[in-house]
Parts: sequence; C-alpha cells; structure tokens
Amino acid sequence: MTSINHHLDEVILLDYHRGRLNAGQSLLVETHLEMCPHCRTSLRLFDAIGASMLEEVVPVDMAEDALELALARIERPEEAPEPRVAPELPAYLKGIDLPESVRAAAFKPRYWGAPGVWMAHLDAPKDGRGLTYLMHVKGGMQMPVHDHQGLEMTLVLTGCFSDDRGAYHPGDCVSCEAGDHHSPLIAADDCLCLIAANAPIAPRTLLGKLLQPFARI
Amino acid sequence: MGVPEALILRIAEGRDRAAYAQLFSQYAPKLKAFMMGRGLTAIEAEDLAQDALLNVWRKASYFDPSKASATTWIYSIARNLHIDGVRKQKRAQTLPEDLWAPEPEQAPDTHLIGVQDAKTIGVLMQTLSPEQREVVRLSFFEDLSHGDIAQALSIPLGTVKSRLRLALLRLRAAFETRAESKSV
Ligand SMILES: [Zn+2]
Repeated sequence: MTSINHHLDEVILLDYHRGRLNAGQSLLVETHLEMCPHCRTSLRLFDAIGASMLEEVVPVDMAEDALELALARIERPEEAPEPRVAPELPAYLKGIDLPESVRAAAFKPRYWGAPGVWMAHLDAPKDGRGLTYLMHVKGGMQMPVHDHQGLEMTLVLTGCFSDDRGAYHPGDCVSCEAGDHHSPLIAADDCLCLIAANAPIAPRTLLGKLLQPFARI
Repeated sequence: MGVPEALILRIAEGRDRAAYAQLFSQYAPKLKAFMMGRGLTAIEAEDLAQDALLNVWRKASYFDPSKASATTWIYSIARNLHIDGVRKQKRAQTLPEDLWAPEPEQAPDTHLIGVQDAKTIGVLMQTLSPEQREVVRLSFFEDLSHGDIAQALSIPLGTVKSRLRLALLRLRAAFETRAESKSV
C-alpha cells in the first residue's frame, strides 16, 4: 500500500472520539483509520488525554449496592453476542478491493448520476442534512467545478484523482469547507470514493447545475 | 490499594474477585463523574460505569500493560460504550481490542503513546497555554459542540478549532519526543 499523505483533520478525529459525528461521517473516519496508522496514533493519544482527565476528576459516589450488583453480574454467564450478519455485498461492488469498514456497511442500489459516474447512498437513518455515498468515476473524467456549502469529506478507496491542491491516492482524505471550490480530475484509472457531506454541493457551472437534479447530491 | 495494572492481570489470570472489587471501587465513581460531565444523568452514568467495569472483567485477557495503562484502557472501554449508546446502533467493530491491538504494519510511530501513563499526559497538558488547555478540557469533559464552546468562551468558532488543533499537535509532538527518549 502506498503511504497516506492526506490525513483527517485532528478536530474531526476528536469529534469521532467524542461520538459527535453522524453515522456516515463515522464510517468515513473508521475507514480511514483502518488504512492509516498515523491517525490511529492520534486516536490513542485522545484515549490517553481522556484517561488523564479521568484520573483527576472528582469522583461521584456510586449507589450503595453498586459493588454488590457488580460482583453479582460477573457471576452471570455472558450472553452470546448477537451474530453480526454482514450485509450482502451489492453486485456493483463485487471484485473491488474494499476496506473492511466499507464491506460491513450497507449501501442502497447504485444509480447513474451522469455518463461515467455512478453513486450509491449509505443505507443509514437520515441524519440532519448529512449525506454519505460512494461515487465511482470513470478514468480520465473532469468533474464540474463546484462549491461547498458545508463540510464535505472525500476518502479515496481505489484509483486516484487530483485537484489544484494535490493528488489523492487510496486512503487519502480531502476535506472541503464551506466556500471552497474545486474541479477534480480523475486519473487514467477508475476512481471510487466515499464521500460524507454535511450539506448539498453547489455546482458553479451550468453543466454542474444541469447534473445536480440527476445526481441527487 | 493495588496498582490497577496488576489488578487487571489478576482478573485475567485468576478471575480474582477481590481484585475486581478493588478495581471497581477505584474506577466506578470516577467513570460515573466523567460521564455525568458528558451529559448523562446520574442514573445513566452509574449504569455506564457498571457496564464498563463488567467489560473490564470480561475482556481482561486482552489487556496488555506494555500497550496501554489501566486507566487508558478502561477509559477507552467506557468511551466506546458511551458512543454506542449515543449512536444507538451496533458498531461494525468494537474498538478497544482493535485500537490497542498490536499494529500489523509496525509503523515507527504506532507504539509510542499507549505505554505512557495518564499522569505523564497530565504533565504534558501543563505545557499548553491556559487558552489551549481550556478548549481541550471542554472538548473532553463536556458534551459541547465546538460552536457551544465558542459561545461559552465568547471567541469565534475558527479560533476554537485552531486552538484545539494546535494543542493536539503539540501534545502529540511532546508525546513522541518523550517516547523516543525513553525507548533509546
Ligand atoms: Zn491519517
């Protein structure tokens, strides 16, 4: 695996640690963590920081019978964990070398957003305005210039794309904040990305505007 | 009171109930306090502390004191339970074992952090500016969005994020320097 050059923002990682991200954003972070030892180290650092705060917190008394209850609970047999049924991998993802986190997630049927571009939304409860989807783009395509209204995180799963700020390979993450605009270019090979957006993107070109109703992003 | 690392090992090796009782008395009241800070009611926080320590009992054999201090490991278990509760959905994978498991790739920077005990981090925290320390504390202790923190401190959201980012990068750098000087 080529080494990862574009990492997640520490503030996003911390929000993941604190449980403040929605399901789609968490999936993207977990997938990056699976691929990135550097960011896994940050998560360990957060555990260590949290632990230092746990050491200095002023304790609050437990209920009177708490210890008794605790000692009783460890004598009870452990219920077998519910068997986790991995969702059937959709046909459109078969044969693609995917990280485990993505494999374990459920995606809706794919649809074509434009010639050479398909998308598949994460099958998760609607979470505010957030939207998480896989996007597969045929090699060599130039995406229309678009603006961002909220935070949008893109994680490359296969292939490669570039924009005016650099090139992104599998495992790399690119975050766009509100007001950023860019026009990614897909390298020769097909590119599959996982995208978690807070708000719909706003295409700046007429073509982009025409695409949007079809792309549903 | 026994050293918590030794207590967990006694649980792992001998299912030692006396060791568990000691560990419970040391950590449950702290976990309860911490989780109340994260916005749980006293009853929810008490339940979470109970569940976290039950997991410590069950998973004790996964604990590796060369990777994480007892407090760090217990904190990571409680944190995962808390997030599970918040998200109300089964996670694809349970993190405590995963995150603290041996790294397959053996990247140079992967083993450095866990073995530092929580007190060392407490010392490193003192090297931050008071403003940086405040945003870190609020982010860990309270159940506040960065926007809420900005409001509470009457500073712009961008400032909260940049302070936090700088503080975390600084802690990480300090960590890695300490770990390197220790391992050489
Ligand atoms: Zn990373």
